[in-house]
Amino acid sequence: MNYDFDVIIIGGGHAGVEAADVSARMGKKAGLITMDASKLALMSCNPAIGGIGKSHLVKEIDALGGLMGKAIDATGIQFRRLNLSRGPAVWSTRVQADRIKYNDYVVNYIKEQHNIEVIEALAGKLLTENGSICGVLTENGDKITCRTVIICSGTFLGGLIHIGPTKIKAGRLGENAAYKLSDSLDELGFELGRLKTGTPPRLNGDTIDFDKCELQPGDTPIPYYTNDCNRPDFKQMPCYLTYTTAETKAIVSKHFNDSPIFSGQINSTGPRYCPSIEDKFYRFADKERHQLFLEPEGNGTNEIYPNGFSTALPEEIQHKAIRTVEGLEKVEITKPGYAVEYDYCPAYQIKPNLETKRVSGLFFAGQINGTSGYEEAAGQGLMAGINAVLYLEKEKPFILDRSEAYLGVMIDDLTTRSTTEPYRLFTSRAEYRLAIREDNARDRMYRYARRFNLVDEAKLDAFDKLVADTSTEIGLLKSNRIHISQLGEVGERFKRKDSISLEEYLKQPGVTVHDLIPLLGNFNGDFSDNREILERAAIDIKYAGYIEKQQREINKFKKMENESIPEQFDYTDITGLKNEAKEKFTRFRPISLGQASRIEGITPGDVAVLSIYLKKHKDTITK
Amino acid sequence: MKNILLEDTIVAIITPPGEGGIAALRIAGNDARSILSKHFKPQQKNRGVKPFLMRFGFFVDDSKNVIDEIMTVYMPAGKSYTGCEQVEIFCHGGRQVVRLIQDTIIGSGARMAEPGEFTKLAFLAGKIDLTKAESVAEIISANTSSSFETAREHLLGAYSEHIGMLREQLIDILAEIEASIDYPEEEIDPKDQEKLISDFDDLLGKISELKKSYKGGRIINEGFKIAIGGRPNAGKSSLFNLLLRQQRALVTPKAGTTRDYLSEWIDIDGFKVNIIDTAGLRKAGGTIEKEGQKSAKSILKSADLVLWLVDISSKGYKKQIETDLQDITNNHILKLYNKIDKSASSPEHPDTDTILISCKTEKGISQLKKEISARINATIPDLTAGVVVTSARHKQKFSNAEKMIKAARDKCLEKESPELPAFDLREALKELDEITGKVYNEDILGRIFAKFCIGK
Ligand SMILES: Cc1cc2nc3c(=O)[nH]c(=O)nc-3n(C[C@H](O)[C@H](O)[C@H](O)COP(=O)(O)OP(=O)(O)OC[C@H]3O[C@@H](n4cnc5c(N)ncnc54)[C@H](O)[C@@H]3O)c2cc1C
Ligand SMILES: Nc1nc2c(ncn2[C@@H]2O[C@H](COP(=O)(O)OP(=O)(O)OP(=O)(O)O)[C@@H](O)[C@H]2O)c(=O)[nH]1
Ligand SMILES: [Mg+2]
Repeated sequence: MNYDFDVIIIGGGHAGVEAADVSARMGKKAGLITMDASKLALMSCNPAIGGIGKSHLVKEIDALGGLMGKAIDATGIQFRRLNLSRGPAVWSTRVQADRIKYNDYVVNYIKEQHNIEVIEALAGKLLTENGSICGVLTENGDKITCRTVIICSGTFLGGLIHIGPTKIKAGRLGENAAYKLSDSLDELGFELGRLKTGTPPRLNGDTIDFDKCELQPGDTPIPYYTNDCNRPDFKQMPCYLTYTTAETKAIVSKHFNDSPIFSGQINSTGPRYCPSIEDKFYRFADKERHQLFLEPEGNGTNEIYPNGFSTALPEEIQHKAIRTVEGLEKVEITKPGYAVEYDYCPAYQIKPNLETKRVSGLFFAGQINGTSGYEEAAGQGLMAGINAVLYLEKEKPFILDRSEAYLGVMIDDLTTRSTTEPYRLFTSRAEYRLAIREDNARDRMYRYARRFNLVDEAKLDAFDKLVADTSTEIGLLKSNRIHISQLGEVGERFKRKDSISLEEYLKQPGVTVHDLIPLLGNFNGDFSDNREILERAAIDIKYAGYIEKQQREINKFKKMENESIPEQFDYTDITGLKNEAKEKFTRFRPISLGQASRIEGITPGDVAVLSIYLKKHKDTITK
Repeated sequence: MKNILLEDTIVAIITPPGEGGIAALRIAGNDARSILSKHFKPQQKNRGVKPFLMRFGFFVDDSKNVIDEIMTVYMPAGKSYTGCEQVEIFCHGGRQVVRLIQDTIIGSGARMAEPGEFTKLAFLAGKIDLTKAESVAEIISANTSSSFETAREHLLGAYSEHIGMLREQLIDILAEIEASIDYPEEEIDPKDQEKLISDFDDLLGKISELKKSYKGGRIINEGFKIAIGGRPNAGKSSLFNLLLRQQRALVTPKAGTTRDYLSEWIDIDGFKVNIIDTAGLRKAGGTIEKEGQKSAKSILKSADLVLWLVDISSKGYKKQIETDLQDITNNHILKLYNKIDKSASSPEHPDTDTILISCKTEKGISQLKKEISARINATIPDLTAGVVVTSARHKQKFSNAEKMIKAARDKCLEKESPELPAFDLREALKELDEITGKVYNEDILGRIFAKFCIGK
């Protein structure tokens, strides 16, 4: 067998499929090497896409023509918008997936892309020539040549599963692991580290007493991610909420030492934001109970995912403990929970285009960079795919900055801080949070989609119209007035007036577009019945002042981002720069002064010296 | 032409504190000219602001009250020291007048320049040349070390520690709010509203204390200001010369000798003291004298201590004192009965805050010095007891932070959605960080030049 590709993607997880898809759509011949071709974009853990901060990523991925949004819209079983009581900047969509259907959808989607070939194999060795990637050797000994490689190996790179004292070499229970690839990276000189994550047992839904649990229905209207999703006969499935009991606490606490997390069997760092149940009882000892969400894994299955009960306790203890949870007294476990350790490459080793500094043409995306989560992986896969193509075309890399996108925040965090614990997004990581929202993902991303030809012309045009209609709507909100007697409590704030404009009303603290909607019935049909237009208009009005302020901050920020530092810049010659700073700069190789200033441990003085040096030697430093 | 290096318009006093009869302010930035136009009233209507032409007129506040007579010059963008649109204003010295002018300009939208910011702009505009990067690095780490500075350094340790503590408190509140955003489904016990608000109030209280400390702290930085006032011929200039130990001011038997004020620096008990001789106050007098009296009044108003001189050899002086002092709104007045050598009999027991002196025989002068020294010590904050703000720039940052924290507090109280108070608190954090320099945001160069003095 002898193959040749423009781009080789190793690993068909969430990162891998986005990378393959986008590079194929940008006209490159993509080869997707993965262990099991039927498991593309399989959800290893929670059957859900989105959530706070992560959903922003999904919207951005979608606006850049990625597949995650489409796949989940087509196969979701429950759609919700979180944080609605808070402001639009942090509204977040979370969708419960039909795990198998999602996986099938992606398998078919990839099959239909004529530029992608899926190769079922285990990638074992990276081949390089003069510091550039030139091919991949599978563990069977097949050689595949290429000009770029994107590694999206997820939790499989050196994957080791722990269930109680039992250890299994695998990235997911019942699957294989990639050990040779780790060795190959090590041989090339990459620094490898180890991280850990975990998953709860899966339950047989027929053995659960849902009457004892709280019902959590989906939202209507259904908040799809994409703007053209239509599923007329779709009925949402509910989730349930239940709680652990004092008995649960007693059992888990008694068996702390049987968990590999405490016994010393696992030393690697796990996600602090997603602790195992033993971790929760251990660290928050004064908390009597913990909530669990019971989430269906799909329509055609009775399997239930107990969100919040991640564990690596021995199977029989998992069994005993979970039966003490309200409603789960008779529950049967279908698959045990477990912890998994895997290799990653601390991200100081990649550039902001996700290409490694060590080997040109080699890109990393997803877990290998220290992140965790499907959305984080998919986002990086997409960015790596685009950048691999740009690399082949010898074009400037595509880098989003922190003020433009959560994609930018994430990659900047990775490349300037080089995470040492599993990284996930939160909205609080984004200092320009008010400016980068779910609702304006297209406003922010479409110009790039246009540049790289990632989204249909028709969609782009439809969006232009939406933007125009939004301004009309804003005009209407400004010009239409409402009598204060219709405004209830809020109306009392305007003692001296008979009526106020809808704009003024919206600007009142505590008033949201959701308060406005019922009032619009009083006006004779001028207002758009497109809820999205109304929301966009309302956000525009309500946050005008803040966004303006934020924009000023962004302008300052951009100035620093635009002060670029040449890639091969030599820091050793800068007199006056502390050795420690020289080392840090050399290790991270920031692309701009802005990035330089965000590197951990770098002081203002260091950046100042660097800045002066760059200014002074502007003419002699080749960019 | 908009200047992209500077988005705000900045202002600072560019003459050193207290020296000379004239002080200068510089405004730079895109609104420099429009701010000047708002506050400058040319003496002759047809002589308004024109590039590079020095103009004479009045600086007026928002309600068109004249603050001072000024000379001013405007330089368009690209053609000034800073490369930005720039205005310079020359007014009568006297910190209070200058500060009033500066405050008015800030009120019209400018912000206080960071230390060294003009220099930084000049550098960026290619107007000055920084020869060596190394020398800059040295500047960054350089420390001055006069004994006064040492005391300040000592203070600074406690100071930045204190700000660090405020910062922690602020971050605590912020974290509380952020958690409720990023974990809406988790069962984080949201601190109840009451507790949150009381945390806010505690923090605000501390910041307000700090701001208050600036009242005394300013004196550490700018010196203690003593103004000598009184009727013409009371002996003000004589006393001024006596305290300076040099014949600095003209002394003649003629009333109305001093027409414009004089300002000098002396050292009392190791403190910088700014001493000012003013024109004598009386109803009569020509235009020039009247102008002199006007500035005298504003100086007397703003002084940390007024020495009110009375010639007890003149008739009816007792009665005059009360009416004269009614005009002077200052709580720190010390009455000095001068020329006791002339008076046949010493006055019947004077009031408590009165000292009997003779500039001729120097009787009572040492008692006067002791009294001044006591008053300074009472005003200067106890440097060992608490944390004191001495810099106007810091005070402005605290005010800004306070404003943002208050806004956040009110929003929490009104149950506004939490990302808005979070935004305000992050802004407040930035203000604090700009004092300690902990977080490096964007103004790289600003930090370098922070070791330069403002306006250099
Ligand atoms: C047990 C467990 C618990 C988890 N818990 C959480 C959690 O609590 N929170 C959270 O956010 N995320 C969690 N995750 C992580 C989440 O599943 C991943 O972040 C996400 O799937 C990463 O996507 P990916 O594309 O990078 O890799 P994956 O989805 O892991 O996919 C990697 C793919 O690459 C293939 N592959 C790897 N190496 C090779 C090779 N050498 N040759 C060929 N094919 C290869 C694999 O077969 C697999 O198909 C968990 C994962 C596991 C396994
Ligand atoms: N005998 C006597 N004469 C004094 C004394 N102090 C000042 N004089 C005289 O009083 C006159 C006026 O003194 P100045 O110091 O010029 O008074 P002034 O208050 O500055 O006066 P103006 O500047 O005109 O307001 C001079 O002739 C001084 O010599 C004093 O203590 N005793
Ligand atoms: Mg005099």
